[in-house]
Amino acid sequence: MKKKRVFKKNKKAEILIGNVIFILLNVLFLFVLILFLLKQGDGTIVLEQLYAKQISLLADSANPEMLIKIDMERGMEVAEKNGIDFREVVKITGNVVEVKLGENSGYSYSFFNDVRLNAYPDELNNEYNGLYVLTVVRN
Amino acid sequence: MFFIKNKKGADKMLSMYWFAIIIIVSVGVVAMVYIFYTAPYEVRDAESEVLSNQFANCFSRGGLVNPMLASVGEFNSGFDLLGECEVNFVVENEYGWSQREQFFVETEFYSVDDLNNPKLVLSEGNLDWKPSCFIKDKKDEDYDRLVKCNEERIYVLGEDGEQYLIKILVGVGKIDKNVRQ
Repeated sequence: MKKKRVFKKNKKAEILIGNVIFILLNVLFLFVLILFLLKQGDGTIVLEQLYAKQISLLADSANPEMLIKIDMERGMEVAEKNGIDFREVVKITGNVVEVKLGENSGYSYSFFNDVRLNAYPDELNNEYNGLYVLTVVRN
Repeated sequence: MFFIKNKKGADKMLSMYWFAIIIIVSVGVVAMVYIFYTAPYEVRDAESEVLSNQFANCFSRGGLVNPMLASVGEFNSGFDLLGECEVNFVVENEYGWSQREQFFVETEFYSVDDLNNPKLVLSEGNLDWKPSCFIKDKKDEDYDRLVKCNEERIYVLGEDGEQYLIKILVGVGKIDKNVRQ
């Protein structure tokens, strides 16, 4: 007589699948959390505000004919990572400084000193060296 | 009476419990990071100090009173405070700031012989902010949401050798960009 093959429900396997799904969900959840933390921590938003306010305060304290160099190396790295040309990072319209390090971000802050401020990146051997030059001209 | 150990059910309950713990901890971490990174930098103290210095440098030229402001003991009431001192109170058009000035300055000029009656008072900007300058209760939770003020007093000499006291009170609003909403 031919023996029938009977497949029994493997209870242990069911428990294993449940655990694997649970672990995968946890890993996915933590991955999303780490992604969020890294995005917040890359400094785009913080640096934009920091540089805009720093440049505004420098402009407030500056006298005409001054030339100021500001270290924006970290900003240059973030801008490069976000595909923004370093030349486009600082824009000055009237007495408002705007700093943009990301495609969909930007921060502006005004200065009260009635001078004309020009900003351009400093270059060494045709390469940006992370410094930005601010020139102060009488209005 | 006896209880059958329901191991499978207990395992599932435990998993749910741990998952809930992870979610609670994660929400906490996200909230903390969000609060930390969205807190604006408060620069108004520095700003108000630089602003009052700008006016002080404008009124005093090497210890002598600016000749445009006073000559032969007479103060010029038509002195253009912003123009002469090269100050621009125009701000970026955000948070409705263009409708409400974000700075003010009030200056009082006294002869040292009479410190009760100013010889001249000049002001510019949003003077509605001024009463906030006299609130000293730093423990008040709304204190940070007030205008930041700075008062400076300088002594200058006139052409005739007379001494003058100049009181400069400035205030910087810009609350929306310096204090958490």
